[in-house]
Amino acid sequence: MTLSDTLIELRDVDFSRGDRPIFRDLNLTIRSGEVTAIMGPSGTGKTTLLQLITRQLSPDSGQVFVAGDDIARYGISELYRMRQRMGMLFQNGALLTDMSVFENVAFPLREHTKLGERLIRNVVLLKLQAVGLRGAAGLMPSELSGGMARRVALARAIVMDPALLIYDEPFVGLDPISMGVIAKLIRQLNDALGITSIVVSHDVKEIGEVADYSYVIADGKVAASGRPAQLRNEPSELVRQFMLGLADGPVAFHYDAPDIEEQFIGSKPD
Amino acid sequence: MFHDIWKTFLGFLQGFGAMSLFFLRLLQYTPAVLVTRFRLVFYQVYNAGALSIVIIMVCGLFVGGVLGLQAYSNLERFNAEDTTGIFAGFALIKEIGPVITALLFAGRAGTALASEIGLMKATDQLSAMEMMAVDPLRYVAVPRFLGGVISVPLLTAIFTTIGLLGSHLVAVELLGVDVGAYWQQLQNALDMEDVMEGIYKSITFGIIASLLAVWEGYNSVPTAEGVGRATTRTVVITAIAVLIFDFMITAWIL
Repeated sequence: MTLSDTLIELRDVDFSRGDRPIFRDLNLTIRSGEVTAIMGPSGTGKTTLLQLITRQLSPDSGQVFVAGDDIARYGISELYRMRQRMGMLFQNGALLTDMSVFENVAFPLREHTKLGERLIRNVVLLKLQAVGLRGAAGLMPSELSGGMARRVALARAIVMDPALLIYDEPFVGLDPISMGVIAKLIRQLNDALGITSIVVSHDVKEIGEVADYSYVIADGKVAASGRPAQLRNEPSELVRQFMLGLADGPVAFHYDAPDIEEQFIGSKPD
Repeated sequence: MFHDIWKTFLGFLQGFGAMSLFFLRLLQYTPAVLVTRFRLVFYQVYNAGALSIVIIMVCGLFVGGVLGLQAYSNLERFNAEDTTGIFAGFALIKEIGPVITALLFAGRAGTALASEIGLMKATDQLSAMEMMAVDPLRYVAVPRFLGGVISVPLLTAIFTTIGLLGSHLVAVELLGVDVGAYWQQLQNALDMEDVMEGIYKSITFGIIASLLAVWEGYNSVPTAEGVGRATTRTVVITAIAVLIFDFMITAWIL
């Protein structure tokens, strides 16, 4: 891989929340123009990883490079310039609840450009058309279903024509039709706009269909990585458990607890 | 025990320091927000101020009425019922108007501000703004803070005016105090300094109530319980802070 292929690189990243370590020596690269999936069991820090990439959080040690720049060195204006080139889809859409669908999508344009009202209208309707919701422009967020809200948020994420789109658990809580729509949009937008996409998900089936490359994160490190077909043949027990959705394995079914006999009977029988 | 008290004290100092820095950042962004986002500030004056007018007027009327009643019944014993206007007017303009308006504002608008900002945080709206390269401090916090700071003195003026009217209704219309004496005595006794005392207090209380509401919402734990707790804290801490500052300002002026 040449340097120009790499859009994002995490180098020896350590991060803890309080006393609980989340990442230890995490190394990971995201290639330009591809859909990269970040997978892993719940609570492994997938969303935290996105927050490190966007500098909503800073690592305890190690570096995060975006387009070759160490983002820890960015001042606030450089950071905001970087974020203008990124679009992020939050788990619940995170639409601004006091604005209509149209105004939500227009929000970044009004904040960062001096486009006229007519042009803003056209751009917003085009983006809504791309996610199939041009007809919902006049609705309020409270009138949308979960899947629709996420599509509106997606239209808002692409309205500034970002170079990188980040999806945080885009399939959670959606019905199969909405899941299929979102998966199709992820692939379509990536290819049509020529951008780079990062998708955090634990939905192995859906993500397997759209991702070019996948990382499985577990125990604070990259447990496995590769093309979807490679991951399915991964020998690691943990990766197999995750990919096949097995209830028990290296990720135990039971949370750590005192000895069962001791807890129920009071003392261990001889 | 001593260790716990020390830890609590340190925690309080830490929180106070963080809130002071937050306040300075709000002040730092204020000029730019007033120029570039005046529409948002104007909306918040409506949201926090105009929507509180009814409750302020109703409370003002009855507080004024009860002051007129108390003043009359006590002053009558000394044949001094003509000075009812002075008693009710001084109490309203210097103390009760600013304090009760601030407490009502905290209950009506402060809780709404804290819970609104807390819910925006819990539903990732603030993070989404940050990711859209829009500083939520400028877009969400400063306009709401300024809306409150502008609203409270105006609401205090309304409360005090309606309070004087309520006191007039009870003392003059119901109990028969001479209308000329009621207003003339008040006009003669009242200096501009007394009015300014009320204005200083209402401005200070406006800053305190708005700052605490925005701070509590902005720093709430992003869960249902956290937002609920932030809302409660807004009312409780504002009430305590307003009463402490009321004493301090009065002691300083007298």
